[in-house]
Amino acid sequence: MRVKRPKGIAPFVLVVSLTACGSQQPAQQAQDSSLTWAIETQPLTLNPQQWGQNKVRLLVFNQFDALLSRQKDGTFQPWLAKSWKVSDDGLTYTLELRDDVTFHDGTKFDAAAVKANLEQFLVPGYNPGIASIQLKSFARAEVKSPATVEITLKEPDALFLDFLASPLAGQVSPKSLKAAKDLKSGGPDLVGTGPFILESYVRGQEIRYRRNPDYKWPPAGAGHQGPAYLSRITYRFLPEAAVRVGALTSGQVQVIEGVPATEAAMIKQDPGLTYQTSLNSGTSFSYYFNTAHAPFDDQRVREAFREAVDVDAVLKAVYQGTATRAWSVVTKGGPFYDASLEGSFGGDTAKANALLDAAGWKQRDAQGYRVKDGRRLTVRSVASAPFVRDRRDILAQAIQAQVKQSAGIDFQVKIVDQGTAQKAYTEGEYEIFENSRGDADAGAALNLILPGKGPINRTGFSDPDVEKWLAAAAGSASLDERKELYAKVQRAVVKDKAIVFPVYVPADQIAAQKSVQGLGFEAGSGTPRSAYDVRIGT
Amino acid sequence: MTGRPAAAWGRGVARRLLAALAVLWAAASASYVALLLAPGDTIDILVGDGPDTPEIRARIVAEWGLDRPEVVQYVAYLWRLLHGDLGRSYQLQLGVGEVLSSQVGPTLQLTLAAAGAGVSLAGVIAVVTAGRGRWLRGAASAAELVSVSVPPFLIGLVLLAVFSFTLGWFPVSGASGPQALVLPALALGLPIAGVLGQVLRGGLERALEQPFAVTARARGLSEPRLVARHALRHALIPAVTLAGWFTGTLLGGAVITEVLFGRPGLGQVAMQAVTGRDMPVVMAVVLLSAIVYVTISTLLDLAYRAIDPRIGGRP
Repeated sequence: MRVKRPKGIAPFVLVVSLTACGSQQPAQQAQDSSLTWAIETQPLTLNPQQWGQNKVRLLVFNQFDALLSRQKDGTFQPWLAKSWKVSDDGLTYTLELRDDVTFHDGTKFDAAAVKANLEQFLVPGYNPGIASIQLKSFARAEVKSPATVEITLKEPDALFLDFLASPLAGQVSPKSLKAAKDLKSGGPDLVGTGPFILESYVRGQEIRYRRNPDYKWPPAGAGHQGPAYLSRITYRFLPEAAVRVGALTSGQVQVIEGVPATEAAMIKQDPGLTYQTSLNSGTSFSYYFNTAHAPFDDQRVREAFREAVDVDAVLKAVYQGTATRAWSVVTKGGPFYDASLEGSFGGDTAKANALLDAAGWKQRDAQGYRVKDGRRLTVRSVASAPFVRDRRDILAQAIQAQVKQSAGIDFQVKIVDQGTAQKAYTEGEYEIFENSRGDADAGAALNLILPGKGPINRTGFSDPDVEKWLAAAAGSASLDERKELYAKVQRAVVKDKAIVFPVYVPADQIAAQKSVQGLGFEAGSGTPRSAYDVRIGT
Repeated sequence: MTGRPAAAWGRGVARRLLAALAVLWAAASASYVALLLAPGDTIDILVGDGPDTPEIRARIVAEWGLDRPEVVQYVAYLWRLLHGDLGRSYQLQLGVGEVLSSQVGPTLQLTLAAAGAGVSLAGVIAVVTAGRGRWLRGAASAAELVSVSVPPFLIGLVLLAVFSFTLGWFPVSGASGPQALVLPALALGLPIAGVLGQVLRGGLERALEQPFAVTARARGLSEPRLVARHALRHALIPAVTLAGWFTGTLLGGAVITEVLFGRPGLGQVAMQAVTGRDMPVVMAVVLLSAIVYVTISTLLDLAYRAIDPRIGGRP
């Protein structure tokens, strides 16, 4: 995947620094520029350590910096930590911190701040989910010197570095951790070290930031150094896609994210606009088969369902050629993707019917559905409405029509409130569970979904080999070794056991007025990145 | 005014206040029970799609006091309500009172503007078209029918496409100034104008056929003056009754309108809370709408008396 680097940025900096020669002011402060960006999703919280919505990463990293930054190939680069060392036993992490960083409230960022931020997660009730999953192996943090912090783990955890590069490791001023009025929801009084300072937040309307004039510690790989180009940025919340696009084309906002397939072609054709897209990391949007009961306890039926769907045709119909087909539970957007799975399943109607015949679903009823022992071949999908996005309801309807026509499968789709969905999951009243996760490290998602006792294992599938590989990958510091182990996992659940039906790779889109430069996606997660590099060019 | 009617009036007010309190208690309890009976466990909802371990569950139970019997939770809830404590939002990690108080203003602005737009449009159209030529009536009727039957969502999108995206007269989003209020208020007010206009014109036309209208015409009163001074009062009763209905429309419509136009307000908060099953927020919104309904119906009662003094005779 290409991540567009702003072209012509070097000459621009040169010109600006020449014009700024006479003054003492940093170049970027001389110009006053502001921008309005319409986004789809409202943050539930502005505290990075409570973050859970992938779509609001772009907001988090305006106001806060993490300790490390994650690259597309899965490796890590310096951010607030200049360097880090992991002991041979994988238990001790020694971080050398930048010593020139200050929080927005004027306090200094140092080893004590890192320790305070980590220990905040141990406060009961602060964030139980993170404390018991991402930070489960955290034992203690020690201040070795003002710029050196030593973190000790209870057991090796390959995902710990990913935690240090996530919004959850966004560094909050310890002073504001104590003084913030509403710590968990965050706000202007919960301050970080980021390139922008949160000015105001009107729920349902907008969030405003102004430039942090002292900023000079962007993550490795940033498009420039020094303070952000924009003096102000406003994010407007416009949940309706058609309204976002209209606001962009009429010039009321300069940037939007979340462009529906139906509008993408129109934007691409408009000479005044730019359009870019990036695949997300994490897991593909997949149908997970519930193997705990009939009919998907029979592998032939699981394979038949996948063969009954012509995925390419369905995606084309629903997303008009803008969706990327998935071949594995892990997305193409991340480093662990096993490309050898491509073309290994799907779209063979004859095979689907042969498999179902072999599995004993031979008869058909009056409506053309297959039956066995008087029972119809019915599979149900229950989805919780808040998690249905990207027109996944329409996608399900398209798949429903296909499996009926090509193989006589009765696929029922229900979109319900979260409580009803949870009840169905708890009671096993479903045959298909649909899910995608945007974790920058796919390992985090696989650990939740694939082990027999995984917190969101809704397949009833458990396999000692898969669990062994997942555990080994989580304990290994070697990227190559992890790739190999996750490839084995993918082959097992996609090819050998047919537990998942990968459908498409979730992606993010940004559309903007041509004059806006420096927009792009985070290398690690594939989601839109912060406004640090964004500028209005000529 | 003599003593007896005043005492009767006082009793009437006291009775109304008691009834209002009963309605509020019933609304609070009904929403509590409904949410309790709704499928899914509160803990499941709080866990959501995230990690789920016994340890996390135990912490959530402790944090929200979910281990107590439902009756105890209910009584504690009512007790807190009496003290003005609406609880904390599960999702937003904020006091519900704080969430609502920051959102009430914009919604109030929007609904008042929409009601104003709806009522004045309906009034003007009805007075201008009542008893007039067939084509004028027909055109008004058709316009009213369209505004009632087209979903507010679509009305909003069309208004945006024409007046914001194409003509650029009004901004799409925000509650920053009066300009930003025009389109949302129209989107929300047009259906009201539609229904109210039809009712008002019907009422006017019936009133204009009454004997008193014949008498007034015989006295030489001009038609516009007759409509404005005499017939309108008769036509108002059914229209005012409808005001109760449009309060409901406004609250419901505000959800859609606020999301569509990217405005802050209770609608957005309510929708987020319902889909995320954020119980404290949902219940507070239910209570708030109950308060609005009770207030409106009381005001309507008073309005009836002002419009038609004969109604005032009953306590």
